[in-house]
Amino acid sequence: MAKLTGIGIYKLLPKTNCGECNVPTCMAFAMQVAAKKVALEACPYVSEDAKRELAESAAPPMRTVTLGAGPRAVQLGGETVLFRHEEKFHHPTALAIRIKDTDDVAAEINSIHHMKFIRSGKSVNVELIALEQAGDAGSFLAAAKLIRESTELPAVLMTSDLPALTGALEVLAERRPLVYAADKSNFQQLAQLSAKFKVPLAVKGETLEELADLTTKIKQIGVGDLVLAPAIGRVGEGLTCLTQLRRLALEKNFRPLGYPVMVLTTAQDAVEEALQAIIYECKYASIVVMRGKQAWQLLPVLTARFNIFTDPQVPNAVEAKVYKVGEPSPDSPVLVTTNFALTYFTVEGEVENSKVPAYITAVETGGLGVLNSYADDKLTGETIAKAIKASGILTQVRHKKLIIPGLVAVLKGELEDEAGCEVVVGPEEAAGISNFLRTEWKSQVGG
Amino acid sequence: MYSIMEDPQTSCGCFECIVAILPETNGVMIVNREFQGMTPIGMTFSTMAGEVGGGVQVPGFLGVGRMYLVSEKFISAEGGLQRVVWMPQELKDEMLDRLEKRFEEMGQPDLLAKIATEKDAVSVDELVEFLQKVDHPALAMASVLG
Repeated sequence: MAKLTGIGIYKLLPKTNCGECNVPTCMAFAMQVAAKKVALEACPYVSEDAKRELAESAAPPMRTVTLGAGPRAVQLGGETVLFRHEEKFHHPTALAIRIKDTDDVAAEINSIHHMKFIRSGKSVNVELIALEQAGDAGSFLAAAKLIRESTELPAVLMTSDLPALTGALEVLAERRPLVYAADKSNFQQLAQLSAKFKVPLAVKGETLEELADLTTKIKQIGVGDLVLAPAIGRVGEGLTCLTQLRRLALEKNFRPLGYPVMVLTTAQDAVEEALQAIIYECKYASIVVMRGKQAWQLLPVLTARFNIFTDPQVPNAVEAKVYKVGEPSPDSPVLVTTNFALTYFTVEGEVENSKVPAYITAVETGGLGVLNSYADDKLTGETIAKAIKASGILTQVRHKKLIIPGLVAVLKGELEDEAGCEVVVGPEEAAGISNFLRTEWKSQVGG
Repeated sequence: MYSIMEDPQTSCGCFECIVAILPETNGVMIVNREFQGMTPIGMTFSTMAGEVGGGVQVPGFLGVGRMYLVSEKFISAEGGLQRVVWMPQELKDEMLDRLEKRFEEMGQPDLLAKIATEKDAVSVDELVEFLQKVDHPALAMASVLG
């Protein structure tokens, strides 16, 4: 990412060392601006050109494009790094399912709505519906109307037939669909249409040069929200192309290619298609359009995406609250753990294995595990007691006992004082929970 | 590694001197940690140290040790010691023998006297005037901004 240096800013300044900005020299002032300690406007003589240039170089290297409106709107692009560990990826690849206007569109939409899976407590799903024109303008319009009526998912309108596109946009424009796609033969008409309806536009190009040339021309027509759709043959070529695009955008700050990228899968085989989608999620597609819509195909694609786009700077946390496993009764055990996702789900899994219905209280530890949060003073007698009292869980059980992780057995006394209940020290590792609940707990409550 | 403009080396903050470019003079100035006064660039050592320390690359600025000043490789990409137009008297005195020897090697023994100190100039305008008077070679070198 091209960073703005003091020298770069100095070159834009009048270089008069007038001192009216309260800094003795222009160089010193430039350093202050680069460090974001003062604004460029503090210089009374800075030119409009300089201001514009500075604003441009401060702009993010890849544009963020929004599809859709309302709660199901999807943001694309805006990425700042090539590798997740450098910072994080900002917007996950949006998955689009491709349907034809000659299909049973209502049924297709319904089946796409059902593609929802729970991974680590989070719901993952398909975000976009890509409507491909196979019939005439009338059938495309009918399908667009169905989309408007029966789904909130944003659409990708896959047609270059101007009457069909105009009709669909009249119905769907306020939902910000993506128009797919302008190429060198039709970009003027499509760009004008996109500008008129204020919708984003995908741009097809055989080569990177052609893409850069087209985006520059389309920007002049007045469409800034673009998505690149490079021509991709084999997967290896696709990877090369997408990597080059990302590098040009971020490392070279090459504005004509600083846009999110979309890819359509090409494989006929269903397994291969899922693999293709996953490869493009890894590097560096902002939209992947698939034909396949079987749950077994989509689950790995959505799971892979969930993994790749997890923010490495934020520990994976679950909501801090009391969870029920099975149908707990007033005699069921109450386990305490932290709200680190990996800890919580491991505990939950083991409790399920035990077949003993139970309550699990996940204490707010900022997503840290048991020993980490203990060391960080986030898992203490006080914080556990607070969580227990706030949830009122002890009023729902007869035994008034809490089970704490064996690793923090040291908290037993403090917690008993704070929470005013008996504390039972559980096993040190989650692997011991199942056995513990089936034997030791049963003897505790005399069951 | 040997350029102050292109990918300059980083430093943590424990450097003895800061080398900084002065575009007006087409040269560089050097200030040592002990010098607390104002320098021609309009920043004191401590202000500059805040900008260039902490491992960041700041083109136009280098945190260095004193011995580097008399190295053959001293900002060789920008033309080396000939670029130096200003340093505090104290630093000049302490480095006198070494600087004389180095200028001797370069075949430019008169250059040392052409490097201004705070006694000759503090503001950049005074400095440019001084450099013109002594005909400092940096004025005629390729632009330091590249």
